[in-house]
Amino acid sequence: MPRKSKARPKPARVRSGTTARPLARSAARLAGRSAARPLAGTVTLRVNGLAQVFEVGRDLETSTTLAWLLRERLGLTGLKMSCGEGACGACTVLLDGKPVFSCMTLAVEAAGHEVETIEGVSEDDPVVQAFAGQCEPGYGTAVQCGFCTPGYVMAARGLLAENPRPTLEEVKEGLSGHVCRCGCYAGIAQAVLHASEKRGGRGGAR
Amino acid sequence: MKAPFKQRRERKFIGGYRPRIDGLEKATGRALYADDVSVRRRFPDLLHAKILRSPYAHARIKDVDATEAEKLPGVKAILTFRDPEVARLRPTSAGWTDGVDTVSYERMMWKKFRDRRVLDDTVRWVGDEAGVVVAAESEAIAEEALRRLKIDWEVLPFVLDPLEAMKPGAPAVHPEVTATNVLSPDPVGGENVFLAKGDVERAFAEADVVVEGTSTYHNANQGSLDHWCCTAKWDRDGLTIWSNTYEADQTRMHVSQMLDLPIDKVRVVCHYVGGQFGRNDTGEQPFYLFTALLAKRTGRPVKFRHTRREAFHDSRQPAIYTGKLGARKDGTITAASFKAVGNIGAYADHSMFALKFAPAEAAEVCFAHIPNLRMEAYGVYTNKLPACMMRGVGNSQLNLVLAHVVDLLAEKLGMDPMEVVRKNFGHQWETLPDKSLSAVLEEGARRIGWQEKRHPPGAGPVLEGTKRRGVGFSFHPGWHAAWQEMRRGQIQVSLRLNPDGTVLLDAPTVETGPGSNTCNVLGCAEALGFLGIRPEDVHWIASVDTERSLKDTVQTDSAVSFLQSEVMAEAALELKAKILALAAEKMGANEQELDIVSGRIVRRGSSEAGTDFRKILWQGDLVPIAVVASRKPIAEKTGVPYLGAFAEVEVDTATGRTDVLKLIILNDCGTVMYASGAEAQQLGGQVAGVGESLYEEIVYDRATGVPLNFNWVDYKIPTMADMPDIEPVLLEVWRGAGEYGACGIGESVLTCTPRAILNAIHHAIGVRIDEIPVTPQKVLAALGAL
Repeated sequence: MPRKSKARPKPARVRSGTTARPLARSAARLAGRSAARPLAGTVTLRVNGLAQVFEVGRDLETSTTLAWLLRERLGLTGLKMSCGEGACGACTVLLDGKPVFSCMTLAVEAAGHEVETIEGVSEDDPVVQAFAGQCEPGYGTAVQCGFCTPGYVMAARGLLAENPRPTLEEVKEGLSGHVCRCGCYAGIAQAVLHASEKRGGRGGAR
Repeated sequence: MKAPFKQRRERKFIGGYRPRIDGLEKATGRALYADDVSVRRRFPDLLHAKILRSPYAHARIKDVDATEAEKLPGVKAILTFRDPEVARLRPTSAGWTDGVDTVSYERMMWKKFRDRRVLDDTVRWVGDEAGVVVAAESEAIAEEALRRLKIDWEVLPFVLDPLEAMKPGAPAVHPEVTATNVLSPDPVGGENVFLAKGDVERAFAEADVVVEGTSTYHNANQGSLDHWCCTAKWDRDGLTIWSNTYEADQTRMHVSQMLDLPIDKVRVVCHYVGGQFGRNDTGEQPFYLFTALLAKRTGRPVKFRHTRREAFHDSRQPAIYTGKLGARKDGTITAASFKAVGNIGAYADHSMFALKFAPAEAAEVCFAHIPNLRMEAYGVYTNKLPACMMRGVGNSQLNLVLAHVVDLLAEKLGMDPMEVVRKNFGHQWETLPDKSLSAVLEEGARRIGWQEKRHPPGAGPVLEGTKRRGVGFSFHPGWHAAWQEMRRGQIQVSLRLNPDGTVLLDAPTVETGPGSNTCNVLGCAEALGFLGIRPEDVHWIASVDTERSLKDTVQTDSAVSFLQSEVMAEAALELKAKILALAAEKMGANEQELDIVSGRIVRRGSSEAGTDFRKILWQGDLVPIAVVASRKPIAEKTGVPYLGAFAEVEVDTATGRTDVLKLIILNDCGTVMYASGAEAQQLGGQVAGVGESLYEEIVYDRATGVPLNFNWVDYKIPTMADMPDIEPVLLEVWRGAGEYGACGIGESVLTCTPRAILNAIHHAIGVRIDEIPVTPQKVLAALGAL
C-alpha cells in the first residue's frame, strides 16, 4: 500500500567543500538565491538532508538514473547496482520516506524531493543494528556478502514506517522485491522483526 | 528461540553464535566493493570498456569497419583482434587453475583445452565475447560505438544439444581442440572411464535386483549480485588492477604471464566481493587483459564491468547422468555404474573438474565398499553458454542421480532407503555403517518425522481435494577436509601483537560472503587464548593487496574458515615464545621458568599473580611482535564427514505446483568454527537449492540459440516470499586432522537439496520426475494430465 510521506521537510542546507567542483559552484550560485526557486537548467535534490544542485547537460542528463547520480557524482556507494531493471532491490533508497529502486528512478524525477540513502541512516538505527547483530541460533546471520544489505535496510525501514508491527508473513511479502543470493532470508526476516520490537512496535520476533 | 547446536568440546570463541565482524560495516553501507572504489568521484578521468557480443550461436568476423564508431565523440580507443598487442597473446583457458592455487601458464590445469583467445574473431555462443572492444567516456558512448561498427559476419552452423553434438557430422565447435566435440582424456581428469573396479557387467548379471535411472541437471546461473569487474590503471610501467576476483595472487600471476610483465609490476587489489558461488572460479578472464591494454593505449584508468545480462557468462554444468545399481536381496549393493554426458557449452573451462575430478573424489569416500564400480564421463562442446563451476561443482550433478537410484533400489527391494544407505555407503577407513552418515540420517529422520510420514508412494492422504504430501532425503560425502586441500600449497598468515595487546591479523583472503573473516578472528583469539584477549582485540585486514598482503588463501571449497586458523594455532606458539623471551629479559628470569596464563606472565609452579603481558611489552622497544607462518594443509587422511537434506513437499495435482513445506539441512562439520556463519551457509544453501529445484533455468530459442532469459525478471531467483521453513542442523561427529579438525561446508549445503525435493515429490504423487527444475508443466506431464 502506498503511504503518504510523513517525512518532515527539513530546511535546506547547502553542502560545500566535499562536492565535486562544478557542483560546489552551482551550490554557491544557489546559495545566493532562494533555495525553493529552481534555477533554469539545474536540478536540486535534497540528499540526506543536504541540498545538492546539478546542472543538466554537465552533471547529469535527463536520462541519468538516480542511482548513477548518487553513486558516481556524490560517491554515495552504499546503494548497489546489480540488475538495473528493478528486479533485485540492491539500489533501494527512500524517496520522501518511501522505498524506490534508484536504478528505475530518473534523477530528474527526484528533483525537489527528499532522498535518503544508507549513508544518511545512523549507525544506531534499530534496523541497522538488527541486521548487523543478527546471530540468533537457527536463523543464521542477516548479512553474508553484504551487497544486498543496504537495499534491504532501506526497504525494511520503509516497511516498518508503514507497518510498525509486521508479522513474519508481512515481512516476507514486504521484502519480496529484493534478492539476497546468499539466501539470508531467515536472518533478514528475524532482524526486521527484532528491529520492530526495538522500535517499540509489538508483534516482532518469534 | 531455536536450540543452539552443542559443541563436542567447549571452546572459548570457536563455534560461537555471534554477529559477523563485518556486520555493521555492511549494514551501514560502508563496506567497499570493486564497483565502489572505481566510481567517477574517485577516478574523474575514468573510461568505460564495452566488448562486442556475438549475435550468432556460431560465426566468424570476416571484417570490421570501425570508421563510424571512431568518429563518435567520447570514443577513446578501439581494440580489435587484428591489433598486434592482442594478436600476440597466447591462447588461454578460463580453467587456468584448479581454483585454489597460483599456477603459471605452463602449469595450468587444462593444458589440452586452451580454447580461448582474447578478443577472438570466432564466436561460439550468442553473447560470446567477440573481437572488438571500445573504451569511451561513458558506458552509453561505448555501447553506441559498438552499434556503429560494421561487421562482416560469416555465420557458421551450430549445435545446442550435447547428444546431437556427439553425432558424426555435427558442427565442430572447437576443431582445433577436438573434431568430435567430445573432450579427449586429459592428465587431470583421466580416461573416459575414469574409475573401474571389479567386473561390473558380471556383477549386474549376478545381482538379485538391478535398477537403472537417469537424471538431468540444468544450467543454473551463479547470480552474484556484484558483477564481475576490474579497473586497470598504469603508473609508468606498473599496472594496478582493482577487481572483485576472489583470488588476487592468481590474478596477478595470470596478468603477469599473459602480458609478459614482471610479477612485481602487477598489483591486484580486492575489497569485499558481493557473492561468488563459483562465478569466477578461475583466476583469469580475458577482460583483465583487454582492459589493461585499453588503459595502456589511452593512458587513462579503464573500467570494465559486466551488466546483469553479461553476468550470464557461465552456469552450472548441465549433465545427463545414468546410474545403475545391482544388489542382493538383503540390500547389499554389489555393483554400481554411473555415466555422465556434460553439456560444457562453448568453452572447456573446468568442465572436467565437474565431470571427473569431483565425482572421483566423492567415489573414494562414498563408494569404497562397493566391490564393482564403473564411472565414466564425457564433456561435450555445444554452442551454448560455457557451463562449469558453481557452488557444489560436479557433486550436485552426481547427487541428483545417486540418491535417485538408491530410492529406486529401496522401492524395488521394499526397504527403507535410509537402511540401504546405511548398509552400503561410507569411506574406506571405517567400517560400515559410517558414524558420520548414520548421525546425519538419524537426526534428519527424527526432525522431519520420517517414520510417521512415510507411506507408499502416492498413497498419502489427499488434502483440499488435490494436494498430496511427501517426504524425501538425500545424502552426500563432504569434500573439503584438510587432506583434500593439499593442492593449495602453503597457507600464509601473520600476527602482529601491539604493545597494548591488540593484534593485527593478516590472514589474507578475499571475503566473498561466507564469513571466513569472522572464523579467522575467532581462530586467532582462540589461538591467543593464553593472552586473555577477545575477538574484539583482533583487527582483521579486510582488503587483499598483492603489494602488501601475504598470498591470499583462495576463497573456494569453503575451506578458508579453518585452513588459516590451523596455521594460526602454530603461529600463536611462536608468538608466545617471543613474548616469553622478552619477558625473561625484562624480568631477569630464564624463559623456561616463565609461562603466560590468561594474559599474565607467571613463574611456573608459583602461585603469584604474575605480570600483565602488556606491561612487559610497554617496557620493550614497542616494536610489534610479529610472526609469519606458512604451512601446507595437513595431509593426514582422516576420511570425510557427511551431509544430508530432508524435504517435505506438497504437490497440487490439479495445477502441478510444488510447495516445499520444510527442509532440514544437516552438516557434520567436525568442528563448527563459527555457528552463526555456518547456519547462514546452510540456510542460504537451501534457498539456492530450492531455486535450482523448482525455478531457475536458462531457456534458449532452439532455432537460433538465442538465450531468452538473461535477466532477473525472466530468470526466477527465489525471494523471501519463496522461502520454506528451514532447520539448519550442525553436527560434530567426524574428526579431521589438526587443532580443530574442521571441514568446509559452504558448497555442500545445497548439494542434496534438489534430490531430496525430487524424492519427496515422488513420495507425494507416486511418479518420478528426473529433471530439474520441476516446473508445474513437468509435474502435470508426469501425472499424465497434459
